[in-house]
Amino acid sequence: MPLWLCIRLPQLAREALAEEPAALERLAGWAYQWSSLVSYASCEPLLWLELGASCRLFDGHTALLARIQAELTQLDYSHVCALAPSPTAAALLTRTQEPRHALTEAELRAQLEPLPLQLLDLPATVLGALRDSGLRRIGEVLELPATAIARRFEPQTLLYLQRLCGKASDPRPAWCLPPTYHARCEFGVEVRTSTALLFPLQRLLLEFQGYLRARDCAVLRFTLEFEHYRHPISRVSIGLSAAGREATQFLALARERLHSLTLPAPVSALRLEALEFTAPTVVQTDLFGSDAQPLQQLQRLLDRLRARLGEDSLQTLELAADYRPERGWRCGSSNLEANPDSPPRPCWLLQQPVRIEAPAQLLRGPERIESGWWDGDDVSRDYYLARTDAGSQIWVFHDRLTRHWYLQGLWA
Amino acid sequence: MDARAETLEQLSRLCHDGEWRRGLRQAAPSGFAELDASLPGGGWPLGAVCEFMPATMGIGELSLLTPALSQLARAGRYIAWIAPPYLPYAPGLARQGLPLERILIVQTRGVQESLWAAEQSLRCPAFGAVLSWPADITDQNVRRLQLAAEAGGSLGILYRSPEIAREHSPAALRLRLHPTQAGLSVEIHKCRGGRAGVRLQLPMSHTDAALAVHPSAATCA
Repeated sequence: MPLWLCIRLPQLAREALAEEPAALERLAGWAYQWSSLVSYASCEPLLWLELGASCRLFDGHTALLARIQAELTQLDYSHVCALAPSPTAAALLTRTQEPRHALTEAELRAQLEPLPLQLLDLPATVLGALRDSGLRRIGEVLELPATAIARRFEPQTLLYLQRLCGKASDPRPAWCLPPTYHARCEFGVEVRTSTALLFPLQRLLLEFQGYLRARDCAVLRFTLEFEHYRHPISRVSIGLSAAGREATQFLALARERLHSLTLPAPVSALRLEALEFTAPTVVQTDLFGSDAQPLQQLQRLLDRLRARLGEDSLQTLELAADYRPERGWRCGSSNLEANPDSPPRPCWLLQQPVRIEAPAQLLRGPERIESGWWDGDDVSRDYYLARTDAGSQIWVFHDRLTRHWYLQGLWA
Repeated sequence: MDARAETLEQLSRLCHDGEWRRGLRQAAPSGFAELDASLPGGGWPLGAVCEFMPATMGIGELSLLTPALSQLARAGRYIAWIAPPYLPYAPGLARQGLPLERILIVQTRGVQESLWAAEQSLRCPAFGAVLSWPADITDQNVRRLQLAAEAGGSLGILYRSPEIAREHSPAALRLRLHPTQAGLSVEIHKCRGGRAGVRLQLPMSHTDAALAVHPSAATCA
């Protein structure tokens, strides 16, 4: 038994859909999480979802409808919802003073009968002719014999009335999920502060979350683009360390990025783009308390740090097989085993060796390092552990080529 | 905040649902028996902020921590280094037994970012210790970090200049570090739940004269 939900979005009409043609498209993507049959009409604007097949999955139509309406409120769209066995009837019921729900054809008939004639979506000439015949209520029109209507009016009129009662098939073009996600939100006025951007951003991200749920996938990276008048687009790419699809998580990351971002000009439009999708990370907890939770927290923290401090703000350490101390480490994850017999090394290394006077007190050494003749950066140094007057233990070397002393590290 | 107010705060902490006992139990052994004996709970307090005030850099202020850090890292927790003043040198750290894959270095562009990163990391239970070198911070900053450490159950280490020793600080443990010929002198300046004023001499491994200076080298210098 089909059950159609029709959502009327008066706000989108007022906001002038012409300015934001993608808004309905985005909402269709958002609605896809509840129904595989989604359709929309941009002239009114209306959005239809076939719920008959999804009711059971989402605990019945009442719970599902409440959920959909709650999310619409969160998205800040004013909306009127109506349920009916046919999409045409559902659309008509959203036009009544109070939205009504009809779950069966009999209920629908009872709901339709007392409604005034003007609610019918028929040409004005047809409505005028019906009124001139003394008809005032939809019920009276439905009681007319089909042959009489077919004789007096164009065939579309009869088809419309039959679809209204669910007596004729009422196909709707099914909207398909696009393979990549592109959403754009244009502002009527230029937005000058990043705080003011958060609100439209939240709406975009909530719709994005709906799309990801609909496709049952997640993202590792998405891109936010800020359009300016007479300025090139500013682009921010947000990466996650584990595939995610929660709008709250996305918003937290985007907020951190916006915090540190200085936009060159006021923003006229916002775009969200995601090109690659992955399977969502399923956090499984084992029976005896698990490490999954801290790991997930760690990933979220790393994402937050990276979002606020910059992509290259996080480093890990690894050993590198090179005798030259400044090349004995690098960023990345380790695959070289630490050798316990390796000569002692300090914990602090200076970015660049600093030239110093000959140290007064040498404690240990020398350790000769001659290496690098093959890549033109050859060194020939004698390393010592030395002590400064202040008591610091320093790692110094005597360059055998230039005969100067350099400070390279601290034994902390 | 004056000393009186802090005493009151400590008292309320003690009274609060046996928290003192939990606080005492959660400690990371420092690896120095003498030091552990002087610290309540037998080690560095987890879920608290400690201030290290070394007289100068390069006297063993990291080696003092590495045994505890290694142990935390081997237990699967990460060690965050927030804006370190020099490059943490991988071969040196590896030689002291630190698992490098558990080390995360966070570079920041100022004190505010460092404090933010330190607070966020302290709050995350995946981190066992968070080391930070903030140049100029207030009591209030330390208190925020202290609360974050309590939430995450991790060890917060702040390296601060020795001049601030005279000032008041909400940190749970404050140590003054001085170099000695044999190693490191540790003075417990403040210790919540323990005795302040204790002075300890700790040997530092890299100072042992395993390799004496070669006579020819000495003349060369």
